[in-house]
Amino acid sequence: MMIEAKNINFYYGNFHALKGINIAIPANTVTALIGPSGCGKSTFLRLFNRMNDTIENAKLTGECLVNGQNIYDKTVQVDALRKNVGMVFQKPNPFPKSIYENVAYGLKVNGVSDKKYIAERVEQSLVAAALWDEVKDKLHQSAFALSGGQQQRLCIARALAISPSVLLMDEPASALDPISTSKIEELIHGLKEKYTIVIVTHNMQQAARVSDKTGFFMYGELIEYSDTKKMFLNPENIQTQNYITGRFG
Amino acid sequence: MKHTELEIQELKIQVKQMWNLVIAQLSKTKIALLENNTALALEVISQEKRVNAYELKIESDCENYIALYSPVAVDLRLALSLIKVSNTLERIGDFAEGIARHTISQECKTIDVKIIEDLGIEKMIDIVLEMLLDGYIAFETENTKLTEKIMSLDIQVDELYKNGFYILAEYIKENPLETMCALRLIIILRKVERIGDHCNNIIEDIVFYVDAEVLKHNNKTSLK
Amino acid sequence: MFSKNIQQKIAFHIFRLLSFSILGVLVWILGFIIYNGIQVINWEFITAFPKEGMTEGGIFPAIIGTIYLVIGSMMFAVPLGIMSAIYISEYASNQKWVKFIRIMTNNLASIPSIVFGLFGMALFVHTFGFGDSILAGSLTLGILIIPLVIRTTEEALKAVPESYRLGSIALGATKFQTIKNVVFPIAFPNIMTGIILSVGRVSGETAPILFTVAAYFLPKLPQSIFDQAMALPYHLYVIATSGTDIEASKPIAYGTAFVLISIVLIINLLAGWIRRYFEKQNPK
Repeated sequence: MMIEAKNINFYYGNFHALKGINIAIPANTVTALIGPSGCGKSTFLRLFNRMNDTIENAKLTGECLVNGQNIYDKTVQVDALRKNVGMVFQKPNPFPKSIYENVAYGLKVNGVSDKKYIAERVEQSLVAAALWDEVKDKLHQSAFALSGGQQQRLCIARALAISPSVLLMDEPASALDPISTSKIEELIHGLKEKYTIVIVTHNMQQAARVSDKTGFFMYGELIEYSDTKKMFLNPENIQTQNYITGRFG
Repeated sequence: MKHTELEIQELKIQVKQMWNLVIAQLSKTKIALLENNTALALEVISQEKRVNAYELKIESDCENYIALYSPVAVDLRLALSLIKVSNTLERIGDFAEGIARHTISQECKTIDVKIIEDLGIEKMIDIVLEMLLDGYIAFETENTKLTEKIMSLDIQVDELYKNGFYILAEYIKENPLETMCALRLIIILRKVERIGDHCNNIIEDIVFYVDAEVLKHNNKTSLK
Repeated sequence: MFSKNIQQKIAFHIFRLLSFSILGVLVWILGFIIYNGIQVINWEFITAFPKEGMTEGGIFPAIIGTIYLVIGSMMFAVPLGIMSAIYISEYASNQKWVKFIRIMTNNLASIPSIVFGLFGMALFVHTFGFGDSILAGSLTLGILIIPLVIRTTEEALKAVPESYRLGSIALGATKFQTIKNVVFPIAFPNIMTGIILSVGRVSGETAPILFTVAAYFLPKLPQSIFDQAMALPYHLYVIATSGTDIEASKPIAYGTAFVLISIVLIINLLAGWIRRYFEKQNPK
């Protein structure tokens, strides 16, 4: 199992945001997390690269394992963890630097200085993010010159450059138009050969299209977690059925 | 190609494989029947399980495809027609198996070859085989120009069936001892005629998929 | 009473009148100084030393002194102000403490500048023994503008969207790398604007340099940071109030005022230009 959660409870102050979550996500799969707003799916996603660390009054119990290692263990260095567990955000957030510098950034902050190696990784990452052909002639132009969809693929390339094994995506296509969305989905589908991907999405069709496994969250609980095919054809739980058929709420 | 398109391709390939299998079954049945070849008939009967397995597989793959990809327009029509086409092909496979079972029955060893020629069973089976193949071509090329031909072939099959009915009635009167055999023959004729009807249904499903037109239950002569 | 549309019209006219009158005052002041000052402006005025008890000659040492003071105070205030601002807005986790620091800097900003002058004299001139010197004057001016630098830097940092920080942290960057490589470069144009505005402030202040550096007249340029220096605002003040011959040096006073205003104006324009330039480089 690439990612495992064992009896996770998470609190924002007095608010019990995640309630006893257990999940085991195999390597080289795409797992979609769906559920209504405020159900805890994003909070859960952020546990795995410890993006919740800076939140005040937050409390976590239980174990989060990545590759068998409890990532909240005291011996774990958080920046090393984040190098291994990349993240792509809802809104494309390229830095105000050139396309090249954006992709090279992660390598540089992690102490890579071999220019030849950086150049290789930049190209490989842009190829992997299906962006190379569109930007290879303007690598040194500002990343802001790209369209929203291209920017998001640049952010994916940026995350891939530091060779993570896990990629967390927080609604990566919700700010994009349908064509860009479908490109991102296609990309996600192709990336699972090398990476383990967990994607939070509001779009159930998107979850169905891109994922192998789906987890349904509601009120901080993981209601159902199973193969996407099974979830969308024959969900076990009546709440899941009500949600995915649009009868909920 | 996008992975959703690959899924569709995969589905289409399966349906074509099933189609080829059913055509092979029917061809073998024809030879088994005409040449009284028991071994071949047994082969057809044993292969029927494969046809059924194809139907189940295609049906569940179509369900998954619809559940996961929420297809619309041409993709939706394709998924719906594939379910129906695979059902129909399975029925055709059943008929072929049924004919093969009649072939191996021991009751008609003495029947004379002439009556089989008079009935034109070979011609009938050839026609439905042609319909099945034309349907396959229409599906593969996504072109419905063969529709009219298939429908007129079905009319020919119906005519042959009606004629066969009278011929066998005469035959029973003249050879009352062969009544059992004659009844078996009428059942075989009936099955071939049903295969023709099913081929007709298949082309209707393909027209629905390719042209988004509903031909079902229309007066066939109104076809343009 | 009047209908609401008429009320609106009346209100608009009053507002317009008031804003035009403010503009009028500004134009009047500028016009007055430019008209009187431009008559004495020539190459010699800018490059020569004062002569004849400052009734003739130029203001060269005052210009140079002001430049030294600007550079000196910036060298002190900019790093200190920026670092404090980064600490307050990026690092400090104790919000009560941050609030306290913020109130204190705001208080510092509202202290009259003459108090800074006295404080500078007591601390730098006497306690530290720097004497009346560019060093003492620069430090005093630096303290005066630190609140301004802190506040503008803090605003500039706050304006950087959180998503950039998260994006950088998520790539395994430390907080310091994030600030150095991402947050600061994005905030830089706004910080720069704040710094330039404080340059304008420094070059125009009289009171803080009064007891710490400014000299009435020096026959030569300052040689080290421990020398006294002349400065434009103070020069203007002395020739207008306590010169050897106030009437005779009046044109010189207008000329000095003209130069001072021009410097401040140019600096403000420069600030705007730099901000626009960087905004073009980094569209948000």
